[in-house]
Amino acid sequence: MSDLLRSLHYDAWILHALLILPLVGILPVVLAPARLARHLALWLTVLEFLLSLGLWWAYLPGQGGMQFTTTVDWLPQWGIAYRVGLDGISLFMVLLSTGLMPLCVLGSWHYITTKERGYYALLLALLTGMLGVFLALDLFVFYVFWEVMLIPMYFIIGIWGGQRRLYAAIKFFIYTFVGSLLMLVAILVMVRQVGGATGEYSFAYDHLLANASLLGKSAPWLFAAFALAFAIKVPMFPFHTWLPDAHVEAPTAGSVLLASVLLKMGTYGFLRFAVPFFPQVALGPVVTVIVVTLAIIGIIYGALVAMVQPDVKKLVAYSSVSHLGFVMLGIWASTLQSVQGALMVMIGHGLSTGALFFLIGMLYERRHTRLIADFGGIARVVPLFSAVFTLVALASIGLPGLNGFVGEFLVLVGSFGRHPWATGLATTGVIFAAAYLLWALQRIIFNSLDNPDNKGLKDLSLREALVLLPLLLGIVWLGLYPRPVLERMEPSARSYLEIIEPHLQPTTEASAPRSTEVAP
Amino acid sequence: MNHLDLSTVGGLTRALAPEILLSAWSLLVLLVVAWRHRTEEDSRLAGWLSLAGVMLTGALVIWMWASGVAASGISNMMEVDGFRFATSILFLVAAGFSIVLSLNYLPRERMLAPEYYVLILLATVGMLFMGGAADLIVLFLGLEVMSVSAYVLAGYDRRSAFSAEAALKYFLIGAFASGFLLYGIALVYGSTGMTNLSLVGVKLSEGALPLMASLGLGLLVIGLAFKVAAVPFHMWAPDVYDGAPTPVTGFMATGVKAAGFAGLTRVLVEAFPTALTQWQPILAIIAIVTMVVGNLVALVQRPLKRMLAYSSVAHAGYLLTALWPGNRLAVSTVLIYLAAYTLTTIASFAILAALGRNGERDVTLDDIAGLATRRPWMAAAFALCMLSLLGFPGTFGFIGKWYILTSVVGQGQNILAVVLVLTSVLSAGYYLPVIMSMYMRPEPEPEWHEGRGMVPLVSAVVALCVIGVLVFGLWPTPLLDLAQSSSQSITQIVLPGAGR
Repeated sequence: MSDLLRSLHYDAWILHALLILPLVGILPVVLAPARLARHLALWLTVLEFLLSLGLWWAYLPGQGGMQFTTTVDWLPQWGIAYRVGLDGISLFMVLLSTGLMPLCVLGSWHYITTKERGYYALLLALLTGMLGVFLALDLFVFYVFWEVMLIPMYFIIGIWGGQRRLYAAIKFFIYTFVGSLLMLVAILVMVRQVGGATGEYSFAYDHLLANASLLGKSAPWLFAAFALAFAIKVPMFPFHTWLPDAHVEAPTAGSVLLASVLLKMGTYGFLRFAVPFFPQVALGPVVTVIVVTLAIIGIIYGALVAMVQPDVKKLVAYSSVSHLGFVMLGIWASTLQSVQGALMVMIGHGLSTGALFFLIGMLYERRHTRLIADFGGIARVVPLFSAVFTLVALASIGLPGLNGFVGEFLVLVGSFGRHPWATGLATTGVIFAAAYLLWALQRIIFNSLDNPDNKGLKDLSLREALVLLPLLLGIVWLGLYPRPVLERMEPSARSYLEIIEPHLQPTTEASAPRSTEVAP
Repeated sequence: MNHLDLSTVGGLTRALAPEILLSAWSLLVLLVVAWRHRTEEDSRLAGWLSLAGVMLTGALVIWMWASGVAASGISNMMEVDGFRFATSILFLVAAGFSIVLSLNYLPRERMLAPEYYVLILLATVGMLFMGGAADLIVLFLGLEVMSVSAYVLAGYDRRSAFSAEAALKYFLIGAFASGFLLYGIALVYGSTGMTNLSLVGVKLSEGALPLMASLGLGLLVIGLAFKVAAVPFHMWAPDVYDGAPTPVTGFMATGVKAAGFAGLTRVLVEAFPTALTQWQPILAIIAIVTMVVGNLVALVQRPLKRMLAYSSVAHAGYLLTALWPGNRLAVSTVLIYLAAYTLTTIASFAILAALGRNGERDVTLDDIAGLATRRPWMAAAFALCMLSLLGFPGTFGFIGKWYILTSVVGQGQNILAVVLVLTSVLSAGYYLPVIMSMYMRPEPEPEWHEGRGMVPLVSAVVALCVIGVLVFGLWPTPLLDLAQSSSQSITQIVLPGAGR
């Protein structure tokens, strides 16, 4: 496989192709007759996914640095160039994005009945935006993609959303906008200071990373600006209020992409930019305490609030706040296991929460309600649906053998040495997760079938099964045999740790292994 | 380099060729209009003639710019530099587009006096003088020629009480501002014995800034701040913008504002570089107040025209921020932002004019609900303009804001940068609802948008602007080079902050 790819010069064009193909695809989707739009979008996204699949083989697992890098001058006056590349961290984010997109198109097949062309065109634009964020190695390019991605999601929520879609859309937009504009100022200040010290004004990631130590006194402010932008996106505890609104109002595919990919941009931003640029600030005692505390609050608070939601979509939305808390804990614990665990939670949450949102969307298409109280006992009517729902919920809870377990376990193991108390508290999050999901499961799928409206529910159609099958395969595969994935991300996680190593606080337990091999 | 000796009549004539051409042309149009001023056709004829004049002048300016004309020595009255040519192009673009909009708008609103176009041409002549002024007197003359024409234009819809109110308000406040400016000029002259901008700069670099000169500086800044509608000298702007005919509003929000900034740039950069430490804090405060107040008040405006009026106040704040560093980089930042702002604003007002059917004063968010389904292109263009005004990546507006931020941060002035981005967030609160209303709300009733639409000519203007906004948003390199070379050619004999 790798030989074949090499003969095609795959590594020279793949990233550009991935970024351009959806944009080019917008044109036929917009111009074609409305009924063809979804077909075109499906084929385009499948093609995109197949193209991106080659990365799995073309990516050289042995190296931790950036691969497939390209630099093309864009605005040379300002030191801005189109710089893209990929490492073991972004690889999986890219595959997750391209892999989910065909499913999102398929999942919107009957749900979207108005202005189809616009909808699928926006999905394609969103795909480019998401990939751009994960591939950019120039801070200007990163910022542009980070912002541009807002627009398609804003329209998707605002046009095809639920009752309170206008409110949700503008809230989503403004929350993200506040953070990102301050980040813009921080980027500029950083480039100027690094440029002043080195004589080279450039937005290149490598250049800034190598010289970030020159920032000195302004580093805390710069870190704060970056961290705010990413914390809103994650979302971390006090900044999470846009999330339930956006999730609940967005159409199914919008919720899936929000949860599975857009939230990961926040944690990705921490891993790629905020922490490596300013490790002395980020991993200093004050910030560590704040972040870890907020992460724990997020884990427990998200789980508790999820438990009392009458609306199952809102329940899953709050569960995201909880899961993302694990990622933040893992990043700040800064051990090899915890960082790899954080990455695994990012992927695993993408699969299982995506699947949950699809399932809820399917329920909603049948009954036009998402209230848990309206359901009950539907296992007897829709056995296949119920089986899938149960499996996905178990994966989300973190049942061993399914994907959720691997990530959360690694995070907890890796973090225990550094933050024993916090880790202990975080463990309760797993228990709460079991509580809210199993309780919801019981009330939706089991109990007695007493609502007559539920008696005529149809089971999964072939199309719906096709949407869910790839996700289920991913869930089981990552749960049973995560090794190939871990192998590919390990060198990058290691080089990330090498950057921040000198700034780490000593662990509370001397015995805590910091960089031992992990082979779960 | 093609050097002109401005002390000879021939050299001066060549240096002033665009201004002379446009003045003569406007008299010609006036002559034509004296015989033909009765029907719609006559009005249209005057419009086309004026448009031809603007285009000819534009061609002349471009030719002069491309052939590298420059003055030998220090210019006495009129600069011959890239900044003048660049601003001239901006003014002519604003004038040309406003004329095209009026071709359709005037008959629709039954304003049939063709002298309208003559006034636009004369106002443009005034702007050309302001952009090229090398002397405070020339600056003042240009300002007056421009302002007097603009007063009349604001009141052109003589059947509308709001238009009359606009004209009167604009005239009274404008006269007041001219007074400030004139008094400022007098004080500067009293202190230095000169009115030539560069020579004033040289004179002032000899020692500490005399009290009289700093008073003069303050009055000059106030006078020009009235013209560009900076807070707290903005009180006239919303009523005037709201009451004036829409193409005139577009013209005032772009051309007149740009001319004000051209004058302000000349005064601060050429005559007062040594007083940098004096005027920078004042400018910073005015900029911050303008950004905050403009954006906050725009949030609560119901009619779109009023909203755009306050948004133009906010943009004056961004432009003041751009000017703040007071160096050559600031000059090129102002040019780029003016270009971005002009293109976007012209297109916005063109669409706004097309949205109104009769008495479009009251086009509100409710009126444009569901526009995207009926008029997809119009809605898309309007949405793009709003994003550009917001400064969203991928649009020219973003490049403008980005340039301002780089230049201000480059001077270590992070507070202005932070205020700029935070107020930009505020502005999302009034630009986005426009998009939401067009795209995310249903039409109130079927046929709601019947009769709203753009004639091909206006569509062409909007299309040109929107394409410009997109192309320069992604690839601004040529424009940046141009702005940089223009700012290099501006006369700044003394370095900023020298001779304190």
